[in-house]
Amino acid sequence: MIPPLDLVPLPAVLPLAVAAAMLTAAHFLPARVPDAVAMLTALAVAAIAAVLAADSAQSGMLVYWFGGWTPRPGVVLGIGFGVDSASAGIAAFIGLLFAATIVFAWGYFDEVHAHFHVLMLLFLGAMEGFCLTRDLFNLFVWFEVMSVAAFALTAYHLERPSLVGALNFTVTNSLASFMMLAGIGLIYARVGALDFQALSTAVARQGADPVTIGAFCLLAAALMIKAAIVPFHFWLSDAHAVAPSPVCVIFSGAMVAVGLFALAKLAFWVFAGSAEARFLVRDCFMALGGTTAILGALMAWGQRHLKRMLAFSTIAHLGIMLAGVAALSSTGLAGLFVYIVGHGLVKGSLFMLAGVLLATRASIDELELRGLGRGLGPAGIAMTVAGLLLGGAPWGVLDAGMRLIGAAARGGTGVAVEAAIVFAAALTGGAVLRATGRIFLGLGSKPDPAEVEVPTEAEQKEADRPLWLMMTPCVALLVLALLPGHLAAKAGLAAAAGFGHEGLASAAGITAVKLSEAPPIAATLLAIAIAAFDLARDRLPPLLYRSTDRAAGPLFRGLGVLHSGLVGDYVAWICLGLGGFALALAFG
Amino acid sequence: MSVLPWLVAAWLFAIGVYGIVTSRNFIHLIGCLSVCQSSTYVLLLSIGYRWGGVVPVFYDQPVGTPAVDPVVQALVLTDIVVGATIAALLLAMVIQVGRKDDTLDPQRLRPLVREGRR
Amino acid sequence: MRPRLVIAALGGLGLLPAIWKIALAMPAFGEPTGAYGPVVNRLGPPLRHVSNMVGAVNFDFRGLDTLGEELMLVAAVTGTVLLLRGIRGEDLSARPATAGLPVVKRAESTILVSRLLGPLVLLFGFYMAMHGMTTPGGGFQGGVALASGLLLLYVGDGYRAWRTLMRSPLLAAVEGGGALLFALAGFLPMVDGKAYMENVLPLGNIRDVFSGGLMLVENGGVALAVAGGFAMLFLEFLEETRAIDGEDRG
Repeated sequence: MIPPLDLVPLPAVLPLAVAAAMLTAAHFLPARVPDAVAMLTALAVAAIAAVLAADSAQSGMLVYWFGGWTPRPGVVLGIGFGVDSASAGIAAFIGLLFAATIVFAWGYFDEVHAHFHVLMLLFLGAMEGFCLTRDLFNLFVWFEVMSVAAFALTAYHLERPSLVGALNFTVTNSLASFMMLAGIGLIYARVGALDFQALSTAVARQGADPVTIGAFCLLAAALMIKAAIVPFHFWLSDAHAVAPSPVCVIFSGAMVAVGLFALAKLAFWVFAGSAEARFLVRDCFMALGGTTAILGALMAWGQRHLKRMLAFSTIAHLGIMLAGVAALSSTGLAGLFVYIVGHGLVKGSLFMLAGVLLATRASIDELELRGLGRGLGPAGIAMTVAGLLLGGAPWGVLDAGMRLIGAAARGGTGVAVEAAIVFAAALTGGAVLRATGRIFLGLGSKPDPAEVEVPTEAEQKEADRPLWLMMTPCVALLVLALLPGHLAAKAGLAAAAGFGHEGLASAAGITAVKLSEAPPIAATLLAIAIAAFDLARDRLPPLLYRSTDRAAGPLFRGLGVLHSGLVGDYVAWICLGLGGFALALAFG
Repeated sequence: MSVLPWLVAAWLFAIGVYGIVTSRNFIHLIGCLSVCQSSTYVLLLSIGYRWGGVVPVFYDQPVGTPAVDPVVQALVLTDIVVGATIAALLLAMVIQVGRKDDTLDPQRLRPLVREGRR
Repeated sequence: MRPRLVIAALGGLGLLPAIWKIALAMPAFGEPTGAYGPVVNRLGPPLRHVSNMVGAVNFDFRGLDTLGEELMLVAAVTGTVLLLRGIRGEDLSARPATAGLPVVKRAESTILVSRLLGPLVLLFGFYMAMHGMTTPGGGFQGGVALASGLLLLYVGDGYRAWRTLMRSPLLAAVEGGGALLFALAGFLPMVDGKAYMENVLPLGNIRDVFSGGLMLVENGGVALAVAGGFAMLFLEFLEETRAIDGEDRG
């Protein structure tokens, strides 16, 4: 039996080695071998990470020093991985999501010599490293490997929208990596270390210091660009709407959320000793989280392009997750962990369903697809379940996460943020349910024929594959999402207690979280009501709609102008966000 | 004098961002992005510099000679790779855009702009 | 354009005082306070028997970063190949066109200089990659020089000659093989129960070309991966200059 500590490097290094081997042999591999190898690798990674999660839940953080460079007195010379049960648990979830995605994409990317699989494996290895590392610069390296693989995968279709979406994604996220590097430079200049624990000790000793807090602002902004938090979120909808569906599963299900996971590591561990950083997180980030949730939900509700709708709904749910971080409590942290997994499972299956529609019905437009879903019964049922879960239905993992975050937000800032969470969940779930009703039941008004052609240029039809092959991973993800929520909440709370170097066990009160039933039920009912309201447009008195349209019209037009698709605008907003952090600190 | 390197780094980042914000051509925009990146080179290398320090290569000089910080130099090497990879990818995308459209103006290339309410 | 400049300017205004405050609070230029760099400078030569400390940081102290960096390069090259080949189609790229577009007529002197310099640059790249542990240089820098030596072939002798030599399966194998060598070198110590990338090979003598143990293997892997990767990039970008001849049109 190999001791668990020896397994620590494998989740990151194994996929990288397999990717390199696959590239070497790419021209000689028979078809389907890359599919099988990639899937098995992802499963192996998930299994190893699960073993690590179980072990670290027992014995605390596993610390592994690459190159055998155990720290010398007063200075850490090498790079360490610090595996606590939260990191390893999320790493295991990522492995599982990749395995499901590769099954979903079986035979999708045929034409190119395993290039898709090489990129996916590099993506996987980088994300695992990103979750497990405890070295700031190493975190940057994985951040960048992850981004580079993602940039290339986004542009895969080579249509104009996908190229421009990929360009916007690349430019904004590259700026994020430069900001991250600048932040690393500042903190290195101040304390001369890169290890999380060494940094944390030094930051706690430092007290108030412009360099330290400047570093935190740059790092946080970089991670929030990756995690698409208002006002850094604009790239996400462009990229997610155009990337191939299997890639979207990873983007929305895992990539963006791990950005917030890293932010939690910074807030709870590295910069835990800085009062200014705590102020920024608790006051500003909480407000940003609520804003992001509401804005993303409104935008999602206004879309008819299914992938774009799901993209905006991801933004909304990222806002909810940020509220979990910003509560700076172990309940919020537990909520974040559970929410990352629950949301990843649900959103992953929804993007797979969008891919199923694109593959079998050659469209991604909600109005065009009206009634075309008949004959895809299993997909309709799956989409209903996923829509309800997204809307806050009181079952399963996502619900547990939402209740934990709601409880934490209530404890932090009162009900305002919790109300935003309920609203965002209801609106995003309602949008999905509305689309489900229209596509699979043919409900809702007939689209105006003149309008149907409008939304996008010719949508790339995705490679057709057997329906059962596409539905199996999708259903598997939903089944996992329906696992008992109280177990997930318990695991999340335990992981939060052991998070970081010394854990948060001292933060106390972790077992006595009161999880209220009311918000999830309210959210679900609201979601169903929203969907019904939209679909009943023909049957209810027009007066009702005229007034809501008059109120909502200008709002949506304004939001549409903001989401211009122009990278120059996006970068200007990034400037404003960073400037906002500076002002908040100056006057806060 | 002591603040000059940091201000140079901030200035480089700022003019790079200004270039991106106002750019009317994607190739120009990629150049501006590289300017932003150069600011990180300046910052990192300035952080590691030591007055009178030698190169951290102890071939001709005995170990123990005060030398500049080798760690930031290694970080900059990684940074350079990042720059090369991003430039290659962006230029490949721009080549493909150029084949489809006769413009490289970000103002005229928009992804999925038309929204359309449900 | 105007509103966006206003937005950016507002952000900039908010940042100005912050930047000034940070610049004033930074440690004095030229007097770094951190312990990391000086300790590496002090411990590197006796512990690892190498004289180039940047190389030691890259391949030993922080070897994992370099592994990530190599695979970042692999990802970028793979992505670029994917993006550029998409339209040409896989088969077309594998087969050289009969001619490249006539860009500019080459002067005799250009051809002469390229032919003279090409082998020299290759030799220099090889030298630089070899001496990564002793003097400034290393696999990455050497690999880039090797690839640019190959590029001189295009400058001197044009598309045809370049494509007769460069084959994408071979380059992909060199690139992937180099990265694989690096990753596997890290696994070697684990067989013995040591940590990933722990330097278990004989270290040799300081200032000797063959000093550094496992670092040499990793360095070789990086040189291969970078040379192969950059040559692959050049190949794909130069394919953009291929002339459309009769057989391609069908």
